Amino acid sequence: MSTLRDLQRELENKANDLSKLQKDIAKNHQVRKKYTVQLGENELVLKELDLLKDDANVYKLIGPVLVKQDLAEANANVRKRIEYISAELKRLDATVQDLEEKQNSKKDTILKLQQRIQSLQAGKGKA
Amino acid sequence: MEETRKGTVTSLSSVFPAEEAQKAVKRVQDTISDKKSELDYLRGFVADNNNLINLVHKLPEQLSHDIMVPFGKAAFFPGRLVHTNEFLVLLGEGYYAERTSKQTVEILTRRGKSLDSRVDSIEAIIKDLQAEASFFNATASEALEGLVEIREDYVEEDCKQESKSGSLKQSAPNFGKTTADDQQYARMMSRLDELEKQEELASESGNHSDQSEETTSDTDDISYQRPTDNNLQSSQDFRQGMLLDQTKNKSMAAEIPKKQNHQEDIADQLNFASLAVQSKVQEKENVPKKVRFVDQGEKLVHPEEKIVKATTASKGEVQHQTSQTSFDSRKAFTGSIIEHAENIKASPIEQSSTLSQVSGSQPKKPVSRFRMQRK
Repeated sequence: MSTLRDLQRELENKANDLSKLQKDIAKNHQVRKKYTVQLGENELVLKELDLLKDDANVYKLIGPVLVKQDLAEANANVRKRIEYISAELKRLDATVQDLEEKQNSKKDTILKLQQRIQSLQAGKGKA
Repeated sequence: MEETRKGTVTSLSSVFPAEEAQKAVKRVQDTISDKKSELDYLRGFVADNNNLINLVHKLPEQLSHDIMVPFGKAAFFPGRLVHTNEFLVLLGEGYYAERTSKQTVEILTRRGKSLDSRVDSIEAIIKDLQAEASFFNATASEALEGLVEIREDYVEEDCKQESKSGSLKQSAPNFGKTTADDQQYARMMSRLDELEKQEELASESGNHSDQSEETTSDTDDISYQRPTDNNLQSSQDFRQGMLLDQTKNKSMAAEIPKKQNHQEDIADQLNFASLAVQSKVQEKENVPKKVRFVDQGEKLVHPEEKIVKATTASKGEVQHQTSQTSFDSRKAFTGSIIEHAENIKASPIEQSSTLSQVSGSQPKKPVSRFRMQRK
């Protein structure tokens, strides 16, 4: 009887862990989505900047003010930003994969626990 | 030999419970509506962009415009728009560039293009999802109807011994068909394609509930497969097997001479065959024979793996010959016979041997599997 209760408590814990993991994964996905959007935007900016002539005036909005920027500088900045975002995306991918692996193993353990509980209950029912 | 021919029978509803399938339908529908709202959102962007392009086009037409300048949230005051050919364009990420009207329009059209491509991709996704949803729907309804899936693996080893036994059995060889075969095959296939289309249309139009209809379509299957095979197999044994079958089925007796001349008019023959069989099969006792026919034809054309569907319900629809194994599960739901036409020519020996094997072992064959649905 006590073993059954123990098992059930364990199962509950594991289920909590699993839901936590799933929340993490969802959060990660959201962040990833945000970064993907930013990457797309930056690439668009870079394309437009490349199309600009050298004498074009480029400004950057910093807080409430537009600050005039050198085109080359702006270009370099955008490139750097893209690099950063790509690296970040890679990192996020790795963590998501890691989390998913953890999630799968958790699912397995939960399944096993459930089976054990079921078999215990079945045994009890017969007895 | 018998063991190798045993397959498995799975009821569709045990693999895909109807409720689950319906849940899947709902989920897919939800995704579709999500995507649709996204699509609307994007379409709004496209419209905005187009309006902006028009405006930017028009602005430099005059040196200055009289406008109402927004001031705070609620107030406006009259003003004048000057420098109408200078734009500060937001490129994204807080970067602005000074551009002329023309250059601005260029930027805007580029953006419009990227928007269009996104719209297209979302439309494609929606299409895919809709196909998926209809598939799940079909699955759900078929699971409710109680379809079963019958699978038998084709066993390669059989061929050798079969071909021996097959050649022994050939007692009435006929010759001289070989030259005509290719032409006939081509004609035959085009005719068959037509028939298939008709049948598909008919089954889609949706009155296919009663038993007699089903038997009709089944017999169609048979009758159209048989001549095909006939043509394909210039080797005699097939004809022999057919003769055997036909003599067993008395209703077909009238047809035999026609078969033997090997038809002037294929279409006529097809119709004739289906009529002849149909008239007979409406009586229940012939069902086993009919089923055997189906099985045999199947064996011939589908060396890899076969799925013969016996179904209480609806669609006796004939699937395209192009069906691949990857689509097996899909095809299996539609209550149809799947054949691989492209394989037929490739390995005639194999097939003919299979045939003779089939006709040899027919009496042993358990019919109940195929009949099970009819009870």
